[in-house]
Amino acid sequence: MNGKLVAQYDPSSTDGWLKQLYKGFQLNYPKFYKMDPLAQAGYLSSELIKANHPDRLLNYKDDAIALVLANRHASVVSDLAFKNSYEIQNAPSPSLFVYTLPNIVLGEVAIANKWYGENMFAVLPKFAPEFYEQYADILLNSGSEAVLAGWLDITDSEIEVFMFLLEKSFSEIKFNTVNLLKLAENRVV
Amino acid sequence: MIIYIGAEELISPLGKSVEENFSAASAGKTGIALYPQAGFKGVNVHLSTIKDLERSFAFENLVETILDSVCNRIDPVILQSPKTLVVISSTKGGLYDSISDPFGNLMERLTRLFKLAHTPLVISNACISGVLAINVAGNLVKSGHYNHVVVIGCDVVSDFVLYGFQSLFAVSDAPCAPFDAGRSGVTLGEGCSAVVVSRDMSIFKNEVFKLGIGSSANDANHISGPSRTGEGLYRSVQKTLESNGVIADNIDYISAHGTGTIYNDEMESIAFDRLGLTHAPLNSLKGFFGHTLGAAGILETAMSMQMMRNGTLLKSMGYKACGTSVNLNVITENQIGSVQTILKTASGFGGGNASLLIQKL
Repeated sequence: MNGKLVAQYDPSSTDGWLKQLYKGFQLNYPKFYKMDPLAQAGYLSSELIKANHPDRLLNYKDDAIALVLANRHASVVSDLAFKNSYEIQNAPSPSLFVYTLPNIVLGEVAIANKWYGENMFAVLPKFAPEFYEQYADILLNSGSEAVLAGWLDITDSEIEVFMFLLEKSFSEIKFNTVNLLKLAENRVV
Repeated sequence: MIIYIGAEELISPLGKSVEENFSAASAGKTGIALYPQAGFKGVNVHLSTIKDLERSFAFENLVETILDSVCNRIDPVILQSPKTLVVISSTKGGLYDSISDPFGNLMERLTRLFKLAHTPLVISNACISGVLAINVAGNLVKSGHYNHVVVIGCDVVSDFVLYGFQSLFAVSDAPCAPFDAGRSGVTLGEGCSAVVVSRDMSIFKNEVFKLGIGSSANDANHISGPSRTGEGLYRSVQKTLESNGVIADNIDYISAHGTGTIYNDEMESIAFDRLGLTHAPLNSLKGFFGHTLGAAGILETAMSMQMMRNGTLLKSMGYKACGTSVNLNVITENQIGSVQTILKTASGFGGGNASLLIQKL
């Protein structure tokens, strides 16, 4: 986080990586266990960013923080699991079906924080800094004070998460496509 | 700066052009029909599906077909301009052919076939995708990032989505009846619709309208159930009216989301009551087209623009008697009259709500 190593995957654990992070950071949100990996990743990374900026994020109005997320593979993990539930198990699972939309993670983060702001989920061929620059610029000029943005691409074989906070009135690093790409390439979560 | 919207197009079971669709709906036709044993475990279901649609690559083919016909409604040269973007609104995209990468194929094909300067931007926000996509388009034009944005919404009917809605007990046993006392759920539909958003009126071949860019708001309440107070929809419409300098009394017509489920339609009635909008003539177009998910917001905006052009408000197909705790002005017979300002709303899974305005110039 912010260039510092704050957690490390333990291959000997029976928990997956996301669950290891949840336990490691001692979060207490039992709904986490109901979520699909995409929603879990969005919840975890938003909690980590909040923990790093505890005062600032609490001071915003309940609709001032916009959420902008994107990935390549939409909700593929839940899509495959739901398809399996009706094709193989012959019982379509409603609890899997509700996660077969990529924007559900936005709802989970909004619910966890009681945030009523703008939401958007986009599917892009690859991480594209200019997408975030364009859309965050629009949101910050049309009422939003901050944008919690990120790339959350999760497949059965890979978890790729890069979350960042953009604020109108605070700036640790200037927001532009060059800096964003640099952070993403250094895998600074 | 005025943001223009026009060149609407629509492919659905009711027709291959927006004019065919409008004329079929005006005549009281619906795309919804009974499909015996089409549901999970051979249950009979009602669906609105396009006849003779080749299922393989149906999503990609529909989007390509509609982009072709949109080009006949505008100056086609702008499509390849670096200041033009194509935005796609869809929930499940090409799931039928590629469940692991449902949008990759379309992005590649459109860019190549139409020689686009930019890869299309896919917006996938459940049932608010369409309204959100038009607002995104408006914002991208207003901010100067692009001069023109073609917005296309498309979703096709699949076992995947049908079985999912069945598992939630959300599928109506009769054709859906939004806002009606006897409503019992959604009827799934498929369609492909498009509009063009631009800062330049001269690219359009026909009359254009003014887009009143709206806001979205999350309910922060539940991922698959609507808020009981309509909080997100209330906030979204409130902001949309405010930022456009429009008051509730100025709304001449509401193209509501109206899915036909008990809770969604009830939620909308509460939100419209809180907004002082119960006077405005209102319909849901899902009685004609079913719920077309990612296409719905575009399809319903396109049909609303047709209503403005033709000076006719369509009846809310399937509605007979008030079935919400707040009485709304649901349109029961086609109404002739001039419409200056319309409000389009959408709400969906994930707690999203979005709204926009279309106004006559």
